[in-house]
Amino acid sequence: MKATRLITWTSLAGIFVLLGHHFGGQAHIRRKLGQKPLAETTCLNCHFVSVKSLPWAQPRPHHDSPAGLAVSPDGTRIWIALDDQDQVAEADVKAMRVIRRAKVPGAPYGLALDPRGKQLFVACKSQDRVAVLDTTTLTEIDSIEVGMGPVALAFSATPKGARLLVANSMSDDISVLSVSPWRELSRPAAGREPFAVAASCDGTRAFVANRLVGLASVKSVPESELTQIDATTCRVTSRDALASAHLSESVCSVPSRSWVLTPLVKVRNMVPITQVANGWVMSSGFAVADRPSGRIVQLPLDEANDYFSDPSGVAADPSGHFAFVASGGSDVISVIDLARVSNWLARATQAQRDDAIYDLSLSPEYVVKRVRTGRNPRQLALTPDGSKLFVSERLDDSVLVIDTGTLNPAGRIRLGDGGRDDPIRLGERVFTSSAYTFQHQFSCRSCHPDGHVDGLSYDFDGDGIGDNLLDNRSLQGVAGTGPFKWNGKNPSLEIQCGVRFAKVLMRTEPFPAKELRDLTAFIKSLPPPRVNRTNRDHLSPSEERGRAIFFATRTPDGREIPVSSRCVTCHAPPLYTVRLPFKVGTKGQFDTTEAFDTPHLLGVADTAPYLHDGRAQSLEEIWTLYSTNDAHGVTSYMNKIQLNDLVAFLKTL
Amino acid sequence: MAMTAILLVCAGHFADLPAQSPSDLPFPLIRRFENFGIKDGLPTHKVHCVLPASDGKLWVGTWKGLVIREDGKFRRIGIEDGLSHPMVVCMVEDPGTGDLWIGTMRGLNRFSAGRMTVLTQTSCGLPNNVIYGLEIMSNTLWVATAAGLGAMDLKTGAWSIYDHNNTVMHEPWVYSVTAAKDRLFVGVWGGGILEYELSKQIFKEHRDPDRDFHFDLVPDDGPVNDVTSWVAWSDGILWQGTYFGMSRYDGLRWRTWQEKKSPLPSNFINFIFARGRVAWIGTDRGVSVTDGDTWANYHTDAKGATIVEISRPHQPVETRSLPTHLPNDFVLGLWANESEAWFATSDGLGHGFLGPAETLPASASVNKY
Repeated sequence: MKATRLITWTSLAGIFVLLGHHFGGQAHIRRKLGQKPLAETTCLNCHFVSVKSLPWAQPRPHHDSPAGLAVSPDGTRIWIALDDQDQVAEADVKAMRVIRRAKVPGAPYGLALDPRGKQLFVACKSQDRVAVLDTTTLTEIDSIEVGMGPVALAFSATPKGARLLVANSMSDDISVLSVSPWRELSRPAAGREPFAVAASCDGTRAFVANRLVGLASVKSVPESELTQIDATTCRVTSRDALASAHLSESVCSVPSRSWVLTPLVKVRNMVPITQVANGWVMSSGFAVADRPSGRIVQLPLDEANDYFSDPSGVAADPSGHFAFVASGGSDVISVIDLARVSNWLARATQAQRDDAIYDLSLSPEYVVKRVRTGRNPRQLALTPDGSKLFVSERLDDSVLVIDTGTLNPAGRIRLGDGGRDDPIRLGERVFTSSAYTFQHQFSCRSCHPDGHVDGLSYDFDGDGIGDNLLDNRSLQGVAGTGPFKWNGKNPSLEIQCGVRFAKVLMRTEPFPAKELRDLTAFIKSLPPPRVNRTNRDHLSPSEERGRAIFFATRTPDGREIPVSSRCVTCHAPPLYTVRLPFKVGTKGQFDTTEAFDTPHLLGVADTAPYLHDGRAQSLEEIWTLYSTNDAHGVTSYMNKIQLNDLVAFLKTL
Repeated sequence: MAMTAILLVCAGHFADLPAQSPSDLPFPLIRRFENFGIKDGLPTHKVHCVLPASDGKLWVGTWKGLVIREDGKFRRIGIEDGLSHPMVVCMVEDPGTGDLWIGTMRGLNRFSAGRMTVLTQTSCGLPNNVIYGLEIMSNTLWVATAAGLGAMDLKTGAWSIYDHNNTVMHEPWVYSVTAAKDRLFVGVWGGGILEYELSKQIFKEHRDPDRDFHFDLVPDDGPVNDVTSWVAWSDGILWQGTYFGMSRYDGLRWRTWQEKKSPLPSNFINFIFARGRVAWIGTDRGVSVTDGDTWANYHTDAKGATIVEISRPHQPVETRSLPTHLPNDFVLGLWANESEAWFATSDGLGHGFLGPAETLPASASVNKY
């Protein structure tokens, strides 16, 4: 009897505690959000969130992943940038082995040599500088500050002296440096994310490949830019549009022809992704830009049922006979006979030239061989005599050597163990491989270069054709920010990259379980994009004012800002998201929901465009054009200085 | 009778001769004009600004778009080419990159190697879309707008805004900005002139001490008026144009001029171009060139011919006729060097040739289009 009473009273007490916790907790949540939440909410949405515990903040193994390559004038030495190790390795070409390494802080990524081979110029991506190494001692002898995120360089000998041109991928400009004296002469604007630079054969001009399309209206045909610079005057002389194409990651000038070649991805983001076959999502090719005339023709690399995804490096041999294109997603080098290309161009009508990129039966006209490589071939370099082609096999930690006479591999320069025991490295292999998609048409990297944005919006058919146009979000820094999808319906990356992804996009079987685990481990390891505050440890006055605005609970005239309309309510630190969906007045005509998952804001400066469908081309436009009724935070009281301050603060996150 | 006739002939003869040789002037004279209008390919008569670029091309800002003149031909660039608004008000060339920055009545544009990029107050930190003046200094683009002075770092794209909220600026309607060696001068409509010292990041105000709207009660005591329409700086001299006269400041001393009381032909000043220690002044009554002491005023007389009135200190005004004429006396923009000058006017684009006089056939004296 007593026991029964005890059990009854204990149960009743437990029920009351649970009910109190539930309703009290719900009241707490409503008070904190200023509204009823639109999704399941727990304490962990706002509490116990720590950046330090996130995967990308943990120590991880570093690998000898080769990036840029530079070959000595006599062809006996090759230098290899190892950005993940902060090193530059020097290898003996004949022996095919590394003979020494130099420490070069700042993620060395791009390399260039002076004509005598005495100085090696190194683009240090994470420190925004170019380092100069003496090749005799392989020690750093000088350094100069350039734009943000330098990734590639080209040496150019002009009538007014030697120049070094540097592609600054994060500041969207090109540093034109005088080599002697060592100083920056000019910094003209490039396209979006300049990623490669090559000098013309006579050294007077330089060509810059820009990886992303320029910001434009969501529904306009995207186009990226091929930039030409006069290296003598440091002036941009032309900006050629690559229509409906992007992800040009390299460029080369063809000796003995007036051509510039750059690989590209032909993206069809404005077409609903209803099918993958026949290149309906994306296909790969290369552009042939004829310099005197300015005409550009886009030609396919792909074949009708076989694609060569993520074209990355390109190189042309000294005779101008062959060009080589590395397809990073397919682990292949395509060998292109340029004489055949020239013959086809001479025969083709203008209409045939315009449609060439869509003709997947065309590539056999000029592709004479596909050479299989190790994983993720990216940068290429040739010996000065053209006899050897070097290929960075980025995810195998090796450099493949191809005999260009036989067009067969001749050996490898081993740099590391390939990271075979590292789940993050294994996941990166999954991420960059097109083996998992229908006919190998694309990889994860095809839409998320380096795990980041491609600046485009897409239409997935799974929710209705034409509905829910979606901005491509960055994967950098997404760990701990679930749920995913624009409406927050996928609770985890495993679900996001699992069955749904296979059904909607890959059109094949889902990733096997282990590969899926490795893939998500890799994605979670990606840190947020770097912000432009590498040299400052404090906020500027404008950024401080912006911070005050962000965390404000009252307007300057004393009126209370409703809790539901405060920036910090939905975008709470440290991730600047509470990971819940909210209605912010941005439902578009073809959206089937008006509540959108709150994105995190870490690195937001580098993730344009904005809002769920990418309609805001800048942070300012979020409020100046698309939030005129204070639905997305109370901003109507702000003058332009205050809005600028808020944006300045956001760009520090 | 005969003596009277002889004296009259001599007087007439001497009247034709210049009082002194033009070589005593501190600046060259315009010897002839050639003018361009719609018949020559301009989209409109109304021209606001003109700028010869370092690559030899001529840029013309008009009511109906941007125009480029190369190889003797005009080509229009309009909103169909990406220009934000057809009314082009001002331009400046970035000396480092050769990019052309264009201010319009609706937004800022960068024209670089054939590509137009538009920046507006809704897309970036630009204070206002109505842009009156542009200047580049210390890797910064300075933009005079209807709602304050904007400064964009050309390397980072970051904007700063200076207006009546955070400076001594009397009101935010900024009409022009000009770079001096280590500072900027900003012309504020109704606010006189602001002097901004870059290294210390402080503003200083120069206001009309008289505070009288129409009269320069005490000459040479400061800016002639607070309604500044333009400022220009060169070789240590700041020139201020207003709708009520003109001022000159050498860092220590002010000098002011108003019409009727000085050789200044009109109080209504649209634009000043300064080169060396000489100012070229665009007014509603023609063009003036002066170093502050000697003046050459070009305008159309009652018969429709352009004359130049040369005022030397303490000497009678010398008047000379020109065989050709300015397209219009309402001059909105100017550019000049030692050999030529360009004039943006309400009725066409004028091109003045400086230097020695040329003999032209009579039929060339009338230049209508």
